[in-house]
Amino acid sequence: MADSGRERDAYTYFVGCVSPRFKGKREKRSPIPYLPTNCLPPPLMRFCGADLTIRSIASKTRHMDLTLSRHDCCLEHLVHCQLENGGWPFHPGGTQAAIEPTALALLALPPEFTQERNSAIRFLLEIQNANGSWPAFQGDDSGGSGFTGLAVHALQKSGATGPAIDRTLRWLLRSQGWEAHWLWRWKFRTTDRHVRFDPDKFGWPWMPETVSWVVPTAYSLLALTRREVTSQRDLAEQRRRLGVEMLFDRMCPGGGWNAGNGVVFETALAAHPDVTAVALLALSTEPMNGPISASLEWLKNRAETCRSPWSLGWTILAFHRYHIPVQRWTDILCSVVDPVGIRDCATLAAVCLALRCLVVTDVFGTKL
Amino acid sequence: MKVDRRTFVAGSLGLAAGAGAAAVLSGPEYKINRRRPRSRVAVLRAECYSHSLERILWSGLQLFDLDVKGKTVLLKPNLVDYIPGSHINTHPLLVSAAAECFRRLGARTILVGEGPGHQRDTELVLAESGMADALCQQEVRFVDLNRDELVRTHLLATFTDLKYLWLPRTVVAADFVVSMPKVKTHHWSGVSLSMKNMFGVVPGAKYGWPKNILHWKGIQQSILDICATVPVHFVVADAILAMEGNGPLNGAPRALNKIVLADDPVAADATCARLMGFEPERIPHIRAGAQFLGNSSTARIDQLAELVYSPAMPFHTVPEFEYLRLSTVHKIDFVNPT
Repeated sequence: MADSGRERDAYTYFVGCVSPRFKGKREKRSPIPYLPTNCLPPPLMRFCGADLTIRSIASKTRHMDLTLSRHDCCLEHLVHCQLENGGWPFHPGGTQAAIEPTALALLALPPEFTQERNSAIRFLLEIQNANGSWPAFQGDDSGGSGFTGLAVHALQKSGATGPAIDRTLRWLLRSQGWEAHWLWRWKFRTTDRHVRFDPDKFGWPWMPETVSWVVPTAYSLLALTRREVTSQRDLAEQRRRLGVEMLFDRMCPGGGWNAGNGVVFETALAAHPDVTAVALLALSTEPMNGPISASLEWLKNRAETCRSPWSLGWTILAFHRYHIPVQRWTDILCSVVDPVGIRDCATLAAVCLALRCLVVTDVFGTKL
Repeated sequence: MKVDRRTFVAGSLGLAAGAGAAAVLSGPEYKINRRRPRSRVAVLRAECYSHSLERILWSGLQLFDLDVKGKTVLLKPNLVDYIPGSHINTHPLLVSAAAECFRRLGARTILVGEGPGHQRDTELVLAESGMADALCQQEVRFVDLNRDELVRTHLLATFTDLKYLWLPRTVVAADFVVSMPKVKTHHWSGVSLSMKNMFGVVPGAKYGWPKNILHWKGIQQSILDICATVPVHFVVADAILAMEGNGPLNGAPRALNKIVLADDPVAADATCARLMGFEPERIPHIRAGAQFLGNSSTARIDQLAELVYSPAMPFHTVPEFEYLRLSTVHKIDFVNPT
């Protein structure tokens, strides 16, 4: 009973933007089902003004209320966009499910959304390629895509195990950027030197027959970091190490990461906030070092002027993982996000994940 | 007849060699021919980026007999990334002017679509480049082609061995595609003009950021396969402030003060190349495109509005593409019906 006042507030925010589909489901759940009970402040504190500490707590509580209400709206919209088959398309209202929005949505759904989560897991397992990889979208070719690491990471965090996951891990260990081949390595060392990188350090490509890039490498590292590969542990560790070294090698000179190359034609390229954040998440199990510090610093500076929900969402996830206070950034994110205005389910899921950072410790599941 | 193993192996090798030689000798094929007897190109003077662009563009479009009434028009600008102070993207004012002009021409729907090659956060590029505000004022919808629904589409040329591409439904369904490149040099392909601009219709959600498979299959070849498959009906090229040197991202601005309009992408690119002081025939995708996608020869281009002069100093390029530069300054000899 002590928490009923706060619960009513949160529910009011929620009902304000509820869709018919969600409303029906929502009645069966507690208003903030994913919020741990010990996070709810005693209601008395909200009315005491004399003590500064209490006032500060009350202020933080209001912040949290606003953030969570925005989170609820985004989550509601996200759930509303789920397709009958369990997947998510990129565009709300679309019909072609894609792996990146589906995997991010699965990560973003709180455990209590059992039905939606099971449906998403079922979809991912059904759409998996025979070789263990994941396509980029429903109906895609069967060669495998750079989203495979993200898909298996989402499944692992959801507790999925079994032969499907093992098959994926084996595929990840086989898949490598083309610079791993001796012929292309020789080419990059001798005749094709406009892009500055060490071809001995390779990771994962976006699709077969191409070289390694930062995002698929980071996604694959997330999958390999979580997974205990009993039969091929040495190889897994070797690939993980190479992937980590590749990320450090491809870093932009001022910190942060671009799509994949820091220097081309002797010119330093600018880093991108979202790619930098994904790379930092993948490197979060590494000891803190100069490149990571420089990249975090670059990301902090860049975030000052960044007002895009996708980039801000990833930035918050990275800051949260490195124990950098995120409230300032979640406030900015809340101010720029219009849940129904977001035209992309992957962004919607990234925003949900970012806003949950205030109440969940390992929201992206990068801790070992 | 009894065939021993040695004869069989030798015969097989001979057949394989013959088939290989035939494949090499036959060369790439194209299943369409969009080359018309004559193409029309208009070079318009525009001193700067301002709201007067709409008037200039409207007067230029009157020189063409465009029929877009009731059609869905897709404007495809070049929106690569946002780097403060640099001019790497098609200017938002030109895109918004084009949207308004095509609306006045009677288009049923105007869409602006792009799939940036390196930057995954398209919304960030849109916001920081000023494109989002410009499109919002015009109430024009933007489609992120990197994340659109995809349709498997057979390629209508075989310069690469890709055979098919997954292309955005918005692109496949559009009735009238307008390529709106930023005129600039490119360190991998020499130039980035209306044909190279069509790389942006290839979706990142399938092919990645960047669309690296196109690099491995050959940039020049990929440009030809894409342009054979996705017809470019019209070109509005932004050459007001162009780029030279280490394009597409890190070149230097170069004022040309021109907008180039054309009803043929090959003619548009050949003309832009001349304006940059390059020899179009030395650019592989323009040379090959002139066989089936349009006209590059001045003898087959009707020059409208301003005459084309190659600049006293050709555009700078990375060393690998210096051979594109014309050695002498000259006026290009077009047929000029106006």
